[in-house]
Amino acid sequence: MKSIIKWTLRQRRTSTLWWCFAVASFIFINMIFYPSFKDQAAQLQQSFSNIPDSVLQLIGGSTDFFSPVGYLNGQIFFIMLPLLLGILSISLGSKLIATEEQDKTIESILARPISRSKLLLGKALAGITILGLATVAALVSTTLLAKVVGLDVSTIAIFQATLACFLLCLSFGAVAFALTSSGLSQSSSLGLTTIFAFGGYIIGSLSGTIKWLNTPSKLFSFTYYDSEEILRGTYNWNNIFFFITVVLISCFVAWYFFRSRDLK
Amino acid sequence: MQETPRITLNKLSKKYTGSPVYALKNVSLNIQPGEVYGFLGPNGAGKSTAIRILLNFLQPTEGGATVCNLDVVDDSIEVKRNIGYLSGDLSLYLKMTGEQYLKYMGELQPATSKAYIDELIKRFKAEPKKKLGQLSRGNRQKFGIIQAFMHQPKVLILDEPTSGLDPLMQDEFYKLIQEAKNKGSSVFISSHIMSEVQRICDRVGIIRDGKLISELSIAEMEGKASHTFDITFKDKVPKKELSFLKGCKILSISQNDVSLVMQGRLSSLFAILANNEVIKINLGSADLDNEFLQFYKNKDK
Repeated sequence: MKSIIKWTLRQRRTSTLWWCFAVASFIFINMIFYPSFKDQAAQLQQSFSNIPDSVLQLIGGSTDFFSPVGYLNGQIFFIMLPLLLGILSISLGSKLIATEEQDKTIESILARPISRSKLLLGKALAGITILGLATVAALVSTTLLAKVVGLDVSTIAIFQATLACFLLCLSFGAVAFALTSSGLSQSSSLGLTTIFAFGGYIIGSLSGTIKWLNTPSKLFSFTYYDSEEILRGTYNWNNIFFFITVVLISCFVAWYFFRSRDLK
Repeated sequence: MQETPRITLNKLSKKYTGSPVYALKNVSLNIQPGEVYGFLGPNGAGKSTAIRILLNFLQPTEGGATVCNLDVVDDSIEVKRNIGYLSGDLSLYLKMTGEQYLKYMGELQPATSKAYIDELIKRFKAEPKKKLGQLSRGNRQKFGIIQAFMHQPKVLILDEPTSGLDPLMQDEFYKLIQEAKNKGSSVFISSHIMSEVQRICDRVGIIRDGKLISELSIAEMEGKASHTFDITFKDKVPKKELSFLKGCKILSISQNDVSLVMQGRLSSLFAILANNEVIKINLGSADLDNEFLQFYKNKDK
């Protein structure tokens, strides 16, 4: 299994480096302008105070965009980082098994004395490592840039928000991984997981205004992710069990179907 | 006493999900240690399905199969310790070099020795430092062959192994098969190249529409096949006697020379030759192509 992890990481090392660079760059671009906003915070805050509630829900339910926590939440943790890491995670989840199955390279591996469970676990751990590396790039760049631009948010809060974002995105990737491992095509898995991930964001955001969306919104990971509360230290950490549950169920589904299904 | 077969297919059937027909239906066969078994049939006949069941890539619908007396589903890991496999539509990691690819495969299943890999690389004139994506189909195929043989398995399952190889490398491959056979390995080979089958196989099974329609040894096949003779007589060609010969077709004839094709038993031809003084006789090899084609084409045979 170590070999599968090692060679999967080796094959993806260039793209992983580019992802880390892209994440750090986006964070840099978003944070470097904080000093300009900081000086005009009161004025800008005033102009945002009359936003309608429905629009407010879509952008996180808060009008605090220019305090250190508000800025960090709005620019990085509310949507930008979940979006970037989510794309990476869904792409990895839907590719790690499916691409090798599609181009038949998986047969080279499974013709050796390697169980399908070990192959699956090796690929999953490689995927988690890649997502983890991009997350570390995000954590390091956010922490450093916060110091550089004078954003007064504790490193622990940044770490906690990044960790929650990682778990959120891991749950997306796990769903994609379970779908392709179960035999669904790469494109179907991509589509369905995107609906689960970002459809969940829209449903979760609208549920504040449209009450009947409250119940269905509970089925989506995004509902349990509140970066502003994490940064302010008021987040209910029991919520992360939803992400962990999604990951565990997805792993079980992937293992259950992949261990005995026909390869394509 | 007969040894336990290395590969056994026991009423093996496979029906793909959503398909109304069986891709493989009640196929039973045994392959002995040291035997090279050719698995022949037209495209879509079920050859690859049978091979992929042996590798546990597909689950059988009915029946079962064993390799080295181990069930291919229940003991698949142990089965694969004994197998060297080369897939028909060989896919490799194109960004890896040949060396990296062999290293990866070797980590998953150690090769007999580094020296043996080096020997195979040398024999096939493979280019291990180049990326697999930069190599031609034939040069990639060499790495497919090397990874299948490098741990000297007891069972080799090879799906169209020589596709893309030049004649020199094909020859090297046939030698490798012979060496494996001499060491007691069993070889299950799918091929469309009749001369290859004739040269390396001991026995063939012919599959069509998912059913094993015939199994016979190469010797039996050659017995049935037609042979070409070029004969020079000292006197005139005994044309009348030859024309009455069952299974004989005269291709060309002159005063003293005749070219003819003889199918089936040759004893009647030799009886004529014994009664006439023969100066020279050339015997062409048995033409199995025609025999195979009959199996491929003729649904009632």
